[in-house]
Amino acid sequence: MAFEQDHSALLTGARTGVAGAETVPPLGRSGSKEFTSRIVPPLLAVASVIGIWWALYAIYPRLLPSPLSTVQEAIRLLSDGTFFFHMYQSLRRVFVGSLVAMLFSIGVGIYMGTVVMGERFFQPLVVLGLTIPGLMWALIAVMLFGINEFSPYFAVTVTIFPMLVINIWAGVKSLDKELIDMSHVFHFTKRMKITQVILPQLVPNIFAATRYGLGLAWKVVVVVEMFGTSNGVGYQVMKSYQVFNMEGVIAWTLTFVLAMIVIEYGIINFAERRLTAWRPKIDVWRR
Amino acid sequence: MAELLVKDAEKWFRREDGSPFKVIDRLSFEVRAGSVTVLIGPSGCGKSTLLNSIVGLEKLDRGELLFVNNGTSHERPLIGYVFQSPRLLPWKTVGENIALALKGAGASRSGWDSQVAHYLKLVGLEEYANQFPLYLSGGQRQRVGLARALAVESEVVLMDEPFASVDELTARQLRETTRRLCEQLQRTVLFVTHNLAEAAYMSDFVVTLTRRPASLDEYVTNPLPTPRRWGPEIYNFAAQLENKVTLKEDGD
Repeated sequence: MAFEQDHSALLTGARTGVAGAETVPPLGRSGSKEFTSRIVPPLLAVASVIGIWWALYAIYPRLLPSPLSTVQEAIRLLSDGTFFFHMYQSLRRVFVGSLVAMLFSIGVGIYMGTVVMGERFFQPLVVLGLTIPGLMWALIAVMLFGINEFSPYFAVTVTIFPMLVINIWAGVKSLDKELIDMSHVFHFTKRMKITQVILPQLVPNIFAATRYGLGLAWKVVVVVEMFGTSNGVGYQVMKSYQVFNMEGVIAWTLTFVLAMIVIEYGIINFAERRLTAWRPKIDVWRR
Repeated sequence: MAELLVKDAEKWFRREDGSPFKVIDRLSFEVRAGSVTVLIGPSGCGKSTLLNSIVGLEKLDRGELLFVNNGTSHERPLIGYVFQSPRLLPWKTVGENIALALKGAGASRSGWDSQVAHYLKLVGLEEYANQFPLYLSGGQRQRVGLARALAVESEVVLMDEPFASVDELTARQLRETTRRLCEQLQRTVLFVTHNLAEAAYMSDFVVTLTRRPASLDEYVTNPLPTPRRWGPEIYNFAAQLENKVTLKEDGD
């Protein structure tokens, strides 16, 4: 009898639990698992690079400095304040140049994607810009403007501008027409269309362009600093190179990489997560 | 309350080879103030083109679209539009989507919150104002689209097969909600559908169009009483509409 009652409850979907005593099943991954899955893969990537370096050092000890002595040199740079001064100079050049390029590229990219005449005018210029190496711009900038702050700004801006424009232009080309029509129907102003409808659709393109652009900007700034300034990371690398201080060259490169990691994970990733919080997480490989 | 007059509307398009073809041919009808006029016709006959012309996404080649309010006509007033897919901005919350439409309509900022809450309550989604659209079901998103179209408080509302992309049970709930709101708010509504039972349920008047190029076939007054209820009489009237549309197509 009791057995029948139990089953009839199941069949009718009646709840047998006490009200308020409902237990919530585990929803998704726990916080610690999420943290582990986020931290472990990049740490493994770094560890694998160090492992290879150590192995090469073991094979060619006269060619490569040891990871330990290089880290000691990097710690010295960090502790005596040299790093912060020169890194600040390089960062400033990278950011100012990138910011100017980004502002122009968003405007030009949207113009190219929305106005046929704009596309016809800028397309050959952008293609031309893409074919000129950053090193050429670095040389031209120093020759044109001399050893001053304008040279790195100019070199960074003109080097990354075409690549940023290509990304933004491609994004504008794939804008959702239905949303643009909706904004027209509901009488959105031009400003509303740009800020509320077009730019949010370009966020993935802007982030892709930012990542690639910053990487390229660093390279250009280092080259300009090597022969066109009297401070910055590139200048320090050149100084170490001139006295054949391999630890110094690699230590500066490492600190440089460290700064890039901080920017990538501390700023870009954070901003991207904030700006794409509306998008449900997709698990492509789930079974 | 405004009424919408479509007078001698004509619209042409070009094929890929450049040759012109007519989509709408001297089409005239009226959408009476405070009523729901349902537009039915064969696929591809130009119904959506007409709606796009009314909201300014397309331009008629000949003819006029007049929005008449108290005897005076207006060029292109604000029009609420419920699209076939909801067309919500996925990066904005439900409340923000409606608020943006209110901003576009020039509504006073101080009234946005209360208006958003009011219209979300009317469509039964008052608890979802802070949710992002991609976390809602298809039916819920379409309700938000309906709330947005009504919230701008335009006198004319267009609905282009608004329930075509949701399942039948959800569509039935949405029809009931929409019809109830149309009766309650007395908006002038032009509703496009392929579903004859939906046309019978939603309409005060039915405009049937011919095959492309679309012109007026018949203007039918819905004899069913309001408030509308689902029942056999809906299907009877739908059968009558089906006879009209099918017979005309057979006779071509």
